[in-house]
Amino acid sequence: MLMRIRTVTMLGLALITVAACSGSTATTASNYKLTLIQGVAGDPFYVTMACGAQAEATKEGVTLNITGGNKWDATVQKPVIDSVTAAKPDGVMVAPDDSKALLAPLKAMSDAGIKVTFVDTQLDDTSFAVSSIATDNSGGGTLAAQTLATLIGDKGSVLVVNVDPGISTTDARVQGFNDEMKKHPNITVLDVQYTHDDPTAATTITTSILAAHPDLAGVFATNVQNAEGVATGLKQANNTVVKTIAFDAGPKQIEDLNAGIVQGLIAQDPYGIGVAGVQQTVLALKGQATTKTIQTSLAALTKDNVNNADMQKYLYKATCS
Amino acid sequence: MPEPLLQARGIVKHYGHVEALRGCDFDVYPNEIVALVGDNGAGKSTLIKILAGSEQADEGAVFLEGKQIHVGSPFEAMRLGIETVYQDLALAPDLDGSANLYLGREIMQPGLLGKLGFLDNGTMRAGARKAFGELGVDLKNAQSAVANLSGGQRQSVAVARSVAWASKVVFLDEPTAALGVIQTARVLETVKRIRDRGVAAVLISHNMRQVLEIADRIEVLRLGRRVARFAAKDATIELLVSAMTSGIAEEGAA
Amino acid sequence: MTAVQPTRGQSIRSAVAVRLSPVVARWNAFAQTRGGSVVARMFSTNAAWILLLLAFLMLLFNYLAPGKFLTEFNVRTMATNVSVLLVIAVGETFVMATGGIDLSVGYVLLFSGVTSAQVMNWGGRDSTNYGWDIVLLGFIVALGSGFAWGVLNGLIVAKAKVPALIATLGTLGMSWGLAEILSNGQDLRYLPSIMGDMGASRIIDKIPLVVIVAAIVAVIGSIILSLTRFGRYTLAIGSNQEAARRAGINVDRHLIKVYAMSGTLAGFAAFMNLAIFTTTTISGHANDNLQAIAAVVIGGTSLVGGVATIAGTTIGICIPMVLFSGFTILGLQSFWRDVAVGAVLILAVYTDQLRRRRRERH
Repeated sequence: MLMRIRTVTMLGLALITVAACSGSTATTASNYKLTLIQGVAGDPFYVTMACGAQAEATKEGVTLNITGGNKWDATVQKPVIDSVTAAKPDGVMVAPDDSKALLAPLKAMSDAGIKVTFVDTQLDDTSFAVSSIATDNSGGGTLAAQTLATLIGDKGSVLVVNVDPGISTTDARVQGFNDEMKKHPNITVLDVQYTHDDPTAATTITTSILAAHPDLAGVFATNVQNAEGVATGLKQANNTVVKTIAFDAGPKQIEDLNAGIVQGLIAQDPYGIGVAGVQQTVLALKGQATTKTIQTSLAALTKDNVNNADMQKYLYKATCS
Repeated sequence: MPEPLLQARGIVKHYGHVEALRGCDFDVYPNEIVALVGDNGAGKSTLIKILAGSEQADEGAVFLEGKQIHVGSPFEAMRLGIETVYQDLALAPDLDGSANLYLGREIMQPGLLGKLGFLDNGTMRAGARKAFGELGVDLKNAQSAVANLSGGQRQSVAVARSVAWASKVVFLDEPTAALGVIQTARVLETVKRIRDRGVAAVLISHNMRQVLEIADRIEVLRLGRRVARFAAKDATIELLVSAMTSGIAEEGAA
Repeated sequence: MTAVQPTRGQSIRSAVAVRLSPVVARWNAFAQTRGGSVVARMFSTNAAWILLLLAFLMLLFNYLAPGKFLTEFNVRTMATNVSVLLVIAVGETFVMATGGIDLSVGYVLLFSGVTSAQVMNWGGRDSTNYGWDIVLLGFIVALGSGFAWGVLNGLIVAKAKVPALIATLGTLGMSWGLAEILSNGQDLRYLPSIMGDMGASRIIDKIPLVVIVAAIVAVIGSIILSLTRFGRYTLAIGSNQEAARRAGINVDRHLIKVYAMSGTLAGFAAFMNLAIFTTTTISGHANDNLQAIAAVVIGGTSLVGGVATIAGTTIGICIPMVLFSGFTILGLQSFWRDVAVGAVLILAVYTDQLRRRRRERH
């Protein structure tokens, strides 16, 4: 019985949604319908991106739908992309889960007359895109190096804890970090360690490196899993000297920052990516010039500045309000 | 008496420390219904399983028409013309009567289709109707899964299945245990018809009255040994019970 | 008892040898008088009900999203997006018909895709120009990899007597781990470009090649299951393994064949997956096994084996995709899709149970 009620509720929802859509199409011709396809639904980074996109859509008077697969997986995202193409929106902002596997469905979307903008991630082939908007990951690494150098007084050994080799975003972060550290002669950068995204591996690596390099002063963890593993390793070693800096600023990471588990966060600007995505797509729909490549800014968050007003837009959100 | 069709001599079977059969003998003659009786645990089912190939004896020998045979599997027993109607697990309930009758012996399409593994369902269904008809089994819907049939009809299918393929001996382990009066009469009628077709039937039953009614001969097991043999016309219920419980009528007394 | 004629027809063998005998004629007449109940019999199976459900959902979504859902484009992409899963689900149907389960299919697919891609990728970036010979080699490697895992599953289940759930959970982990080791966790991206062309190609400009290939696999699977001895043994083993053994069927060997078939089809699906995505999609396939099993169950295959149809499985594959696409087109929050598919799965099994119980009552 419960199931029947739920089914009825769902159908009711469907009817309401359709009514809402058909109601809004009756207005002006410039009332474009846009869809944002997230890399993975429910992730704070993409939720924040959706918030930015929604705010900009409301400002410009266009309708925005938000969807995405429930897993970072090209085979899951392909049917989402195909269905969105079938729904014939005017423009789509999409964060493809794979730079190659999704070429065919996104090309088909573009061929169907839909304006396609890449947000956060992109394809190897961006020729048909209105615009590609992404974080300057190398710049993020540079910022991480500068922030860590300041935190450790510009001397000592530093360790980079990365996920896996071959991931373009995290590799770019490490590259930017290493390039910047070359300008700091008193800092030794140890060999990069890989964790396969496993916090336990990050813990083991941290304690071993501490044993081998007692002068370890700082750690750069390229994502949150690694940062938490490093923090556990430092706790096990009773080490309160080593400073840790990590990428991304979701609710959990902000908690970690306030609790002193990490001393710095390099925050991307998903909100800004969402805003820019809608702006560029609408420009294209209006037949105006777009910017082919946009790199959005990053911010270094520390305990001291995390509550400042100008930093709030860099905090990732679980919901928009 | 003629030469026995099937002979078991000195069969021993252990299950761990339990001795289910301790030098058991057994004889089946052509064209007869022989009942195998005994108390629970006397070793009747074990003996049948060994003769039908689903269990292996630890010691002893089996002879068919005077020649020693080795029944290594149910499949070998079937090749020798020995079929068994088990108390349980005899049918595939989701398949229809025809599929069950021909299970393991499917008739294939002629020519290339058959070589590719295609079944000739039409011929098998016709054959099944005939086989069931011969045994007086009326399946209302021959294409219905066996699970949809009544208990008696299911048992009839199982009996028909064994009877249809047996050329020498059919073992029936409590074939009427779960049946009503009419269905029981039907199955017993079937058992008699097996004999009339020149196939020996071995019946395991706890129902002494039934045994005396349809068997030609009775062999009694007690504690893993044969303790008595009777011609049915000479036996009484008291005599059988006495042999089963105390083994007074020693081997060879009949 | 009137039909009993003890003196006539001493054995069925002789009876059935006479083809076109009056008995057959009588049977045909019998079958024809029963013809009226064919529809009734159809509706006693799950397949008919879920076909109605599928039709209802498609009409509903088309009504709610006119001109968007039942379009040539959307039907084509939906069909393409189920084609890989359908091939896996055909193998899964056979396994589940025996009363078993194959959890390893998704990662056997991944493993086969990786080995196949590695063979085709031998020349690095140059390999995009490789020809049909290399593609054929990749195809054989994909099939061979899947076959090997399938045989291993079959041996563990049939010979080592490890329950299928555990056996295939074990090979799931093994095939996944080995795929990651072989590929170093990196997608292989430089496949012969003719593979991608093949994955995108359409017959008479309408029907994607992969859809036709999947449909052929399903039709052949359906024929094998319902018309051949292999299918009969598969259902018999699922219905009562001991009865099948006593009937002289080599149950162990048949189970090995069935698991080998499932593995080989996963290898086949891996090749289709490479053609569609032009890369190994290493982050995917975690739920392929559950999606295939859900489709098989929605399609009316009994969880304990013995009853199965490929037609049911095919519809069972389509329903989640229709819900997925329909909900996405309507712009409903993405997680509702999972809720709806879960509800359909339970509903399908529930109605199946209801019908079985009703059947057992009379």
